[in-house]
Order: sequence, then structure tokens, then C-alpha cells
Amino acid sequence: MFSSFRQAMAWLHTWFGLTLGFILMVVFFFGSLSVFDREIDRWSIPETRFEPQVMPSFDEMLLPILRSVQPNEQDYNTNMPLLHDLSQGPMTPRTELPADEFWAYTTHRDPVLIMGVGFRVPHPLDPEGHNHIHGNITIDPRTGKALPDDQLKIGSDFFYPMHFSLNWNWNRIGIYIIGIAAFIMMAALVSGVIIHRKRFREFFTFRPDKQPQRSVLDLHNLTGMVALPFHFFFTFTGILIFASFFFFPVTQTQLQPLHDHHEMVEANETGLPHDRAGVPVQITSIDAMVAKAKQRWAEKDMPGEVGFLQINHVDDANSYVSIYRAGSDRVALVGEGMHFNATTGKLIREEPPRSAVSEINEFLTGLHLQHFEHWLLRWLYVFGSLVGAICIATGFIFFVEKRKRQHTLQGSSGSQVVDALVVTTVTGMLVATVSMLVANRLLPAEMVGKGYWEQVVFWGSWSVMLLHAFWRSSAVRHMRISPAWREQSILFAVLAVAAVILNWITTGDHLLKTAFHYWPVAGVDLSLLVSSAIAIYAARYLKKRENVAVHKAIEFSAQNLEAKHG
Amino acid sequence: MVEIICWIAAIFTTMLGMASLSLSLPNHWRQVTGIETSLPSRSEQLSLRILGYSSLVVALLLCLAADHPTMAVLVWVMLLSLAAKGIATILTWRQHWLKPLLWLFNQTSQAKRSG
Repeated sequence: MFSSFRQAMAWLHTWFGLTLGFILMVVFFFGSLSVFDREIDRWSIPETRFEPQVMPSFDEMLLPILRSVQPNEQDYNTNMPLLHDLSQGPMTPRTELPADEFWAYTTHRDPVLIMGVGFRVPHPLDPEGHNHIHGNITIDPRTGKALPDDQLKIGSDFFYPMHFSLNWNWNRIGIYIIGIAAFIMMAALVSGVIIHRKRFREFFTFRPDKQPQRSVLDLHNLTGMVALPFHFFFTFTGILIFASFFFFPVTQTQLQPLHDHHEMVEANETGLPHDRAGVPVQITSIDAMVAKAKQRWAEKDMPGEVGFLQINHVDDANSYVSIYRAGSDRVALVGEGMHFNATTGKLIREEPPRSAVSEINEFLTGLHLQHFEHWLLRWLYVFGSLVGAICIATGFIFFVEKRKRQHTLQGSSGSQVVDALVVTTVTGMLVATVSMLVANRLLPAEMVGKGYWEQVVFWGSWSVMLLHAFWRSSAVRHMRISPAWREQSILFAVLAVAAVILNWITTGDHLLKTAFHYWPVAGVDLSLLVSSAIAIYAARYLKKRENVAVHKAIEFSAQNLEAKHG
Repeated sequence: MVEIICWIAAIFTTMLGMASLSLSLPNHWRQVTGIETSLPSRSEQLSLRILGYSSLVVALLLCLAADHPTMAVLVWVMLLSLAAKGIATILTWRQHWLKPLLWLFNQTSQAKRSG
């Protein structure tokens, strides 16, 4: 089929890229937004615009709040009938479920504190399973006041899951699709290096003044090459993080008995009780345990704050407290967990030094999840993922440019369709994202189901952009540039500026007030303005290029006519 | 504050390193000289590469001075990408910015030739 290995690689690179590149585009773009997901949260929920706090006193503030949390109604309605054993009597009413687990989580970038309670199902169908109905709460750690938990955290609850699951949660299908795309990305990277290996000689070349096909390929190669380590490592670690999901449901079905057995063995070895004893007891001071954990970390030369705290088997003789360090000063996602007996306050277990394998694993996953405190590296990650997005987009444009003429002559609509889809995934995706931010500022905070409507705006505007891209794509058939590129760029620029102005009007936070005083919000505003300026520049440049393309198209059809009529 | 100075210095040294490495490639050398037929001599090419790679090593040391080693390596790798993209951009729109570097190496080779 192929006369050389390189040709085979070129085929693989082109067609794999074309089929799954659209997904990768989404992954890269929302990956770059995820780097600043907590900052976008601050922007979208103005009540949370204050400085990050350390975890407050558990005994005085957090415990009373956790005791007042109720199980989530929707969770109860959906899962209680599945977990409860009807043969043992009727379901325990929602508000009477006993608490089994308390947890609290914060990072150096979270001003708010997220907490949750796992409620026990008293008569479970499967006594070995994790029979929990959940109830979560977000609080202001300065006062303990509950913050709206029903508003959508656009950064961490929408853009971030978009990056790894497309927000398509039905049977985890989004995660599987992205997993396949990530494997393809690995193949595309390797085959790309093989096809373009000669490029190393002109590593830094970009010739924007050459014909579109040439300059687009330059940019594709350049962006592919310069950020190769980033692309490789992020794809690889992304696959690594989700490795257990990619074995499909095996871990939850065939391997379930093994998993349950492992839990029992682990509980035996670590001394952390697997089950409740059934003997009710009072918990002692958690703050004293926190102080002890902090002291131990300091002795190990890694002083730090608490990132995650969990109490298991609440109010039972087997109750224990697990305290994990917020590892913001290193790449590896380390917890340095300390486990205490909740009734005596005695240290049951301190996690032992990690093996080489688990250290490498933690470094690699930490590299991808970037929980560390390092603003320069964060921006470098944004740069890396945007370069990745450029690489994929230019790959598509090259595909279209290379085949446009041929498709026009053959009367095929292949490049027209591809071009419309590329417009949708490049400028269309930007318009959808910024529309969501505009909707966030326009819809009232107290509106019921506000988060739902924000998502409707996101998907709705993206669909409109798809229709618009197809509607305007006939230009490609006439060897011209689709005006949809320019029009959507302008729309994006207008919406981005509107988002900044609306943020000012609705919250009073304008750039003069936030710059240097509150970077999370100033950063989002500034990024919107810079993107808007780039979009305007791109639109003007496209206009010029469109005019040149019109002349060329006229020449081309004149030549065609001549050829036809001899 | 110290780490910010180290980072800025690291950005400059990676840029310098990538600029030297780009000039050691005939295509980019021609681009900067503006003369179609000019080529870097063997010794020029060698000294450009030595300067290039050693600058990158210096940048790594600067990153190590600023951060925990695990973090420093990541910053360095990402700075290499940023610098490569930056030099490519300069070569496209502002080639003359790299002239001083070229001039520096031409001078030494001229001195050698005349000597």
C-alpha cells in the first residue's frame, strides 16, 4: 500500500489527526484554561473574591458546620433506592441518615473551603460496598458562613472536566473518548517527528509571507517541534492518570472481589479500621492532631499546611482521622499522610517513605495536575498548551489548503466540510467559552438553575457557531478563505470586551481596582482583553488575505474556463 | 525576589542559547546575514554550538538556584520551548536583532583569518 515507511507514517499522521484532532483541540484549549480554573471560579462567583486562607480550626468552626449538613436531595433520590436493602425494612428518611465520614479540602489558590459529609445507609444491599449518600458545603473560612454551593464554579466544575471528559458523563464515555484521542496523539507525535525529521535542520523557520500552504506547514512543524517535550509528557501523564479508567469496566466488575479483598488486607496492615465497630464514642480534639501532624512534617524538613482532612467512621470506636499536607511547594502530589485514632488522639500510622516507583508516579501525575505554587510555571503551561492548540489547528488548515484546489476541480466538498469543522473548533469554541462568561454576568446570582442555563448558553452558542461555519463555508469551494473565520473572530473580540465591562458593572471590580490588588480577577480580565486584541488583529489580517484569495480565485476560474474552451 | 532574578536571567540565557544554535544552522545563518551564498565556517559553527549549549546549561543552573530541583527541571524544559518559539519569531520578523551575535563571531573568525 505504501512505498516507504515515511509515507505510511504520513498517512497515519494525516488521518488520525483529522479524525481525533477536533477532540484534541478541545483538550488542549480547556487544558490551558484549567491551569487557572480557580481564578476563573473567583471571576464567576463574586462572593468568593477574597484572599486564600489556611484551614481554620476544626473543633471550633468546621465540626459544628459539618454536623449541620444534610444529605443532598438529588443524590438521595437517585442512589438511596439502589443502595438500600428493602427486605430489611423501609428506607431511612433523608434527614435521619447518620453521618459516617467528614472531609474538608483546600489549596493555596482556594479562598473558599469545600467540605462534605458521607452519610451511611443503615441497611445496605451490599455491606462491603461504599454505601454513602453525600452532602457538600462551601464556606467562607474567615467567618464560617456558607457560600452558594449551587452556583456553577465555571473554572473547576465546567472548564476543567471539559478538559478530560468533555462533560459527557454518561457511562464515562467522555473519558474514554479522550483516552483514545490521547493514544492517537502519541501516535501522531511519533509519526510527525518521523515525517518531518529533516525539519531539525531549519528548526526555527516560519515564513508567513510564503503561500498559505507553506507558511501554515511551517507553523505546524515549528509549534510541534518546540513544544515536543511538553506535548509528549502531558499526553503521557494524562494517559497515566486515567490508566485505571482505560481498562474499561474491568476494575469495577471482574476485579471487584480482588479490590475488596485488597482493602481488607490493607486495613489489617495499616491498622486503619476498615469497618465500624458499632460502639458509639465521642471524638476528641482534632486541632491537637493537626498540630501534631504539622510538627512531624516540620521535623521531616517539610513544614506545611493541611490540604485535606478526613474523619472516617464518625462517632464510632473505630473512628480515625487522616490528615494530608498541602503539597504546594513541590511537583509530586505528596500527602505525607498522618492517621490518628479519633477517640484517643494517638498516632496510628505515619505513611512510610515511598518506593521509587510510587515516587516517579507521583512526580508524573503531579507534573500534570500542577497543584504547586509557581506562577511562572503555570504561565509556561498555558503557553505550552496554546502552542499545542496552534499545532493542531495549523495541521487542519494545512489539510484544507493542500486539498482545496484538487477538491474544487473534482467537485468534492471534503475540504469545505473540514474547514467548517475547524472554524467551529477554533473560533467557535472561543465564542462559546466567552459567551458562557457573559451569561454568567448577565444572569442574576439568585436565579434557580443558573449553572444549568450557563451551560445551555455554552453549548447553544457553540452549535450556532457550527451552523454559521457551515453556512459560510462555500467560499472554500471557490478557492477562497471562509469568511466565518473573520466573523467569528470579531464576535469573540466583542464578547470578550463585553465580559470585562459586565464584570465591572455587576461587581464594581474594574482593572484599576483589581490590578496589583486582586490578581485572580485582574488576570481573567486582562487575558480577555489581550485575546480580544489578538482576535481583532487576526480579523484584519484575514480580511487582507481574503482579498488576495479573491483575486487568485478569479484567476483560477479564468484559467479553468480557458482550459475548458481550448 | 532572588528567584525572580534567576528566572529572568534564565529566560535571557535560553534565548541566547537558542539564538546561537539557530545561527549555527546554514539556513538561519543566511537569513541573518541576508546573503544567499554565505555559510558559517566549520569553526564558526562549532563555537556557536558551544556557546549555544553552554548557555542552555547555565540556564539550567539558574533554574536550579531558584527552585526545588523537581520544579526547576520543568521550568527549564518549558523555557527551552518558549525560547525556541521566541527565536523563531525574531527570525521571522526582526532578524536584525540577531546581527550583534553574528558580528561577534564574524569578528573572531576575521581576526583568525587575518592573523
